[in-house]
Amino acid sequence: MFKQERIYTYDGSLDGLFCVVFRAFEDKVSPSAIIPRKAGYQVPLGEILPVDTVSSNAQRVWKKIIDRSDQKNARKISVAFLSERPETDMLLWRYLNKLFTHPYGDYYKNMLDEDVYEITQTARRVRMEVHRFQGFVRFQRTRDDIYAAAIDPDNDIVQLLAPHFKGRFSDRRWLIYDTRRKYGIFYDMQQISIVALDDDSFSLTSGNIRQNARAVDEDYYRTLWQHYYDAINIKERKNDRQMRSFMPVRYWKYLPEKDR
Amino acid sequence: MKDKVLRKLNILADAAKYDVSCSSSGSSRASKGGLGNAKSAGICHSFTEDGRCISLLKILYTNHCIYDCAYCVNRRSNDRPRATFTPAELAELTVSFYRRNFIEGLFLSSGVLRNPDYTMEQLNTVVRKLRNEHRFNGYVHMKSIPGADPLLVREAGLLADRLSVNIEIPSELQLKRLAPEKDFASVYDPMNLISREMLASKEERRKYRNAPRFVPAGQSTQLIVGASPDKDYSILKLASGFYDEQKIKRVYYSGFMPVNEYDNRLPVLTAPPLRRENRLYQADWLMRFYHFRYDEILDEQHPDLEPSIDPKLAYALRNPHLYPVDLNKATHEEILRVPGIGVRSAKIIVANRRFGKITMTHLKRMGVALNRAKYFILCGELLTGTKTLYPEQIRRRLAGKKDMAGKQLSLFEAAGTDLNQDKPSSLING
Repeated sequence: MFKQERIYTYDGSLDGLFCVVFRAFEDKVSPSAIIPRKAGYQVPLGEILPVDTVSSNAQRVWKKIIDRSDQKNARKISVAFLSERPETDMLLWRYLNKLFTHPYGDYYKNMLDEDVYEITQTARRVRMEVHRFQGFVRFQRTRDDIYAAAIDPDNDIVQLLAPHFKGRFSDRRWLIYDTRRKYGIFYDMQQISIVALDDDSFSLTSGNIRQNARAVDEDYYRTLWQHYYDAINIKERKNDRQMRSFMPVRYWKYLPEKDR
Repeated sequence: MKDKVLRKLNILADAAKYDVSCSSSGSSRASKGGLGNAKSAGICHSFTEDGRCISLLKILYTNHCIYDCAYCVNRRSNDRPRATFTPAELAELTVSFYRRNFIEGLFLSSGVLRNPDYTMEQLNTVVRKLRNEHRFNGYVHMKSIPGADPLLVREAGLLADRLSVNIEIPSELQLKRLAPEKDFASVYDPMNLISREMLASKEERRKYRNAPRFVPAGQSTQLIVGASPDKDYSILKLASGFYDEQKIKRVYYSGFMPVNEYDNRLPVLTAPPLRRENRLYQADWLMRFYHFRYDEILDEQHPDLEPSIDPKLAYALRNPHLYPVDLNKATHEEILRVPGIGVRSAKIIVANRRFGKITMTHLKRMGVALNRAKYFILCGELLTGTKTLYPEQIRRRLAGKKDMAGKQLSLFEAAGTDLNQDKPSSLING
């Protein structure tokens, strides 16, 4: 359909990506690559067009997605976007192109189509990681009675953790902080807000909060938990492979039971 | 004080570790503004080195016991360190773990102290404290102590999300031999009581929306595999009866660990029968999610699951007249019975045939285990050379794989799930 190709860059947000899609349709120029302008990003040779994020254009793409499919599918797209696999941007482009131009109204349900299947799988992987982190978040109490946790997930999921933890710990203030992406969510018993902290708030090796900020009995609870982890294991049934497949090593660094 | 709790935790978690269940699924409690909620999908918080999920704080109230069951590490004639929590200590420990997101809730079991009623009352006190004083709304699994007064069991059912009564030994004859103080009635009576109360509570709630819920996550049970000469066929028959009659949510199978080697009523094993345990779980999965009847998986002539191949494959090889299954025409039920095709793939295949022909490329993308499936399907074209194979040839090819040990778990993995969950996860679909 599009005769020409070009490299697009955008600001790294979902709205930004939607603006790339908007622009590509407007110019009838198909992307050969879509690259977020993150720190240190590199662009291959070719004609490059940096796209600015214009909220009204993004809104029009969003509305078109809902028109051509439904709310649930729109949600799936926004979840898939949080996947940080580099091929996801182009996958989303191919998928949206099909969604907007395919004559069959429910083509977006066709799991025999490679891109439809991949989008579904990508969203599934992101949701799987959200599900895992509902378990792997480890809070430590601060002296001001805030429960604080560091995480370092593969995908940009910290905001997707908000509803779960808000439902569970609605009677205390808590913070979940992504140490790689350097932002987190903070709940003040009213609402959740996005926060950025000083770099030394959490240890990047253990996820511990600064010693002088920790409540006095935190080490005790950490010890109790480590002892529990050892006591509940059945040595005669050792199955390291299975343990690692459910709890991959990359997730261990902020887990007290694995940090010894 | 702190050292005391640490010592008790070490003893009473160690003594609880042989209970397999750690599931936190099947109950959905919305937050009530206090502490906690329960997710119906269940959440694993960690995994121990034996590969099992830690979801709940699994712990005994006490490891003192008046009974002397041959298979149990806590039997009264064993000389071991003993400890007993106070209800306050245990409630506080649970909350402090929960607040740090170490756990999904509490799985409270116990040895029998003084008598069953006294013990059950202590367990109820712990959970009452959690629910009332700590306003704890998270998941609680309680063991119903065999022989406890029905009134106490009823109270437990209103406090907990799940109750369980372990059958432990799969036949009454063997149970009486290994645990002379127990019989099947002491297991079936509370189970039946729980299932009656569950039914009554469901009826009530149809009439009054706010009627109290009785064990909203249902009941489960556990049996030990390999401590008695019972065959897999009678184990599956027993499990199938639990699912149909007592409406049990999960039956757990625990490979026998020789904890009391001196007791000559027990078999001498060098290692727990993990392979057999895994095959039983696969067969259990076939009953619960693949609509197999127990007597389709095994029968009097074939009373044991085959160690070298999974039970679905064994079924297919015993019933060659049902294959090949044409994936572009067959029903969902027929596709579910193809070795190598899981619940999720079967669903995708049936729902998407209207868009075009299903091909090998699609199957591969979905993660169908083609190494097994290819012998049993028609899929546009059949892979060359497989059409003419006899069941025995297929068996040799598939059982000969040196990585069979590693492949054992593929049934669980194919279902996109782990042992913590009662059913293949639907939360990650769509």
